[in-house]
Amino acid sequence: MRKKTNSAIRRWMYAMAYTAVSAVVLAGCGNGGNEPAAGDGKLTVTATTGMIADAAAEVGGEHAEVTGLMGSGVDPHLYKASQGDIKKLDNADIIFYNGLHLEGKMAEMFEKMEDKKPTVAVARDLPESALRTDPSGAHDPHIWFDVENWISATEVIRDTFIEKDPANEGDYRAQADAYIAELKKLDDYAAEQIASIPEASRVLVTAHDAFGYFGDAYGIKVMGLQGISTASEYGSKDVSALRDFLVQNQIKAVFVESSVPKKSIEAVIEGASKMGHEVAIGGELFSDALGKAGTSEGTYIGMVKHNVDTIVSALK
Amino acid sequence: MTDFWILLTGSLVAACCSILGCFLVLRRMSLIGDAISHSVLPGIVIAFMVSGSRDSIVMLLGASVLGLVTVFLIQLFQQSGVQADASIGVVFTALFAAGVVLVSLNLRNVDLDLDCVLYGEIAHVHWNTWTLHGADMGPKAVWMLGFTLLVIVLVIGLFFKQFKLCAFDPMLAAAVGIPVALFHYLLMGLVSMATVSSFESVGAILVVGMLIIPASAAYLLTDRLGRMILISVAIGIASTVLGYFAAVVLDASIAGCMVCAAALLFVLAFVFSPTHGLLARRLWRRLHSRSV
Repeated sequence: MRKKTNSAIRRWMYAMAYTAVSAVVLAGCGNGGNEPAAGDGKLTVTATTGMIADAAAEVGGEHAEVTGLMGSGVDPHLYKASQGDIKKLDNADIIFYNGLHLEGKMAEMFEKMEDKKPTVAVARDLPESALRTDPSGAHDPHIWFDVENWISATEVIRDTFIEKDPANEGDYRAQADAYIAELKKLDDYAAEQIASIPEASRVLVTAHDAFGYFGDAYGIKVMGLQGISTASEYGSKDVSALRDFLVQNQIKAVFVESSVPKKSIEAVIEGASKMGHEVAIGGELFSDALGKAGTSEGTYIGMVKHNVDTIVSALK
Repeated sequence: MTDFWILLTGSLVAACCSILGCFLVLRRMSLIGDAISHSVLPGIVIAFMVSGSRDSIVMLLGASVLGLVTVFLIQLFQQSGVQADASIGVVFTALFAAGVVLVSLNLRNVDLDLDCVLYGEIAHVHWNTWTLHGADMGPKAVWMLGFTLLVIVLVIGLFFKQFKLCAFDPMLAAAVGIPVALFHYLLMGLVSMATVSSFESVGAILVVGMLIIPASAAYLLTDRLGRMILISVAIGIASTVLGYFAAVVLDASIAGCMVCAAALLFVLAFVFSPTHGLLARRLWRRLHSRSV
């Protein structure tokens, strides 16, 4: 009796093993893996965040087909790879990522990829002095909030394109120059607008510390409830300290972010209102991701403008 | 080749986890994988504070130490009379909370999420290759998990009788002179090793799922431990393959699809198992009542 069931089990196991093996073989045939990227002579470019994809598309122009891994509104800390992302990385001629640990563990993979194809951190050329550094030695990865940093990132993107495709060097230089000119205008606009806020009210209160570079560049004090990491919880002391600060300095508005929940900041507003000081929600800022594609906030320049305008109109 | 490496990595994780999962299900400790996935937080925080680096080797080291501490404490509490589920709950919440406190005290501005620094992603395994003297040896994860599987098979294979008796009847095992505590700790050590190395390669959800679901399904299909382990491994590998194809079709998270496939196989076992299945039991009841 036992023998009989044993052989039945064994047969079943063989069947399983057979299915598994044939599935693997089929998979191997199905995708081939090495299909030529973009047959029309365009470079296939894959970028991690929407901001980088936007800059790469501006510089690459008609010579590049750019795809982003992280969609609009996706917090890079919470990005989950899908099966299709493998192909986006496998087929790319050039890969751009932020660096400074924004992509977490993926960075180690990108370093490996460097041997096989141009895989470039756009923060590569930023000097140590331009970076915000934590006492523990870690860098703040949210470099795009200082437009000057983004100009450096654009230059890295431009040089990478030229190295990969020297035939079109002229086009890349022209497109990069045009984009950098716009970024410079944007930089001036941001500085000018923020400076128009009375100095005492120049305080930007948000839920998490993504705006450090913005504050440094444009002279606005930045206060966040939460640390950079979404794993660090805010303490009740943080809430009350922030509340007292708002009340004492008569700050008019605080801001919510597109990729961070509102709840934490609402506790502060409620606390201040109990102490007789009304704080408004000044609007939604884009922090770690761009807005929806097709809207003006769906581009880097549109996003920065939106943030600046929102801040200025609420605090002025 | 990409598909092959992903399927191989998934199958290795499935094999490691579903072998150990059988013992955990029998000992009613299957949530230990989830526990370890949280309790390693202080390990990586301390590793970062000591080294100032977020390299995966350092993180893996910190996590391994905390993984061992976790299973040791769980086993210790359980042996001292705390319920198995309660001791798992106490240890992992306390350790995770300690990690959160450490982050909030010292490292508020460092990105130290487990998701970012420890958990790997199965979609990326084929890029993380291991180079030895300039030669490409294939994905690191395959080597690490292959080694883990080898250790598990060796240890469980050598002491199968002892492990079996300890799982089913620790009293009897002690009576015949088997060092029960030692084997419990040994099993827990294997669990810790398998989960932490798998977290590093493929992320948390796949490991936690593979530790519980295939073994639970196999438990419904047989009453013999040896066979349960074989069926469990077969279900684990089958869900890896099924899940991967679902992920290809849906363009979705690979680990997520694999665990969903395992859950689907579990439901099939739950309904159609010839001995413990829903249908079989209903049929048996009907036959029985008719004969009465």
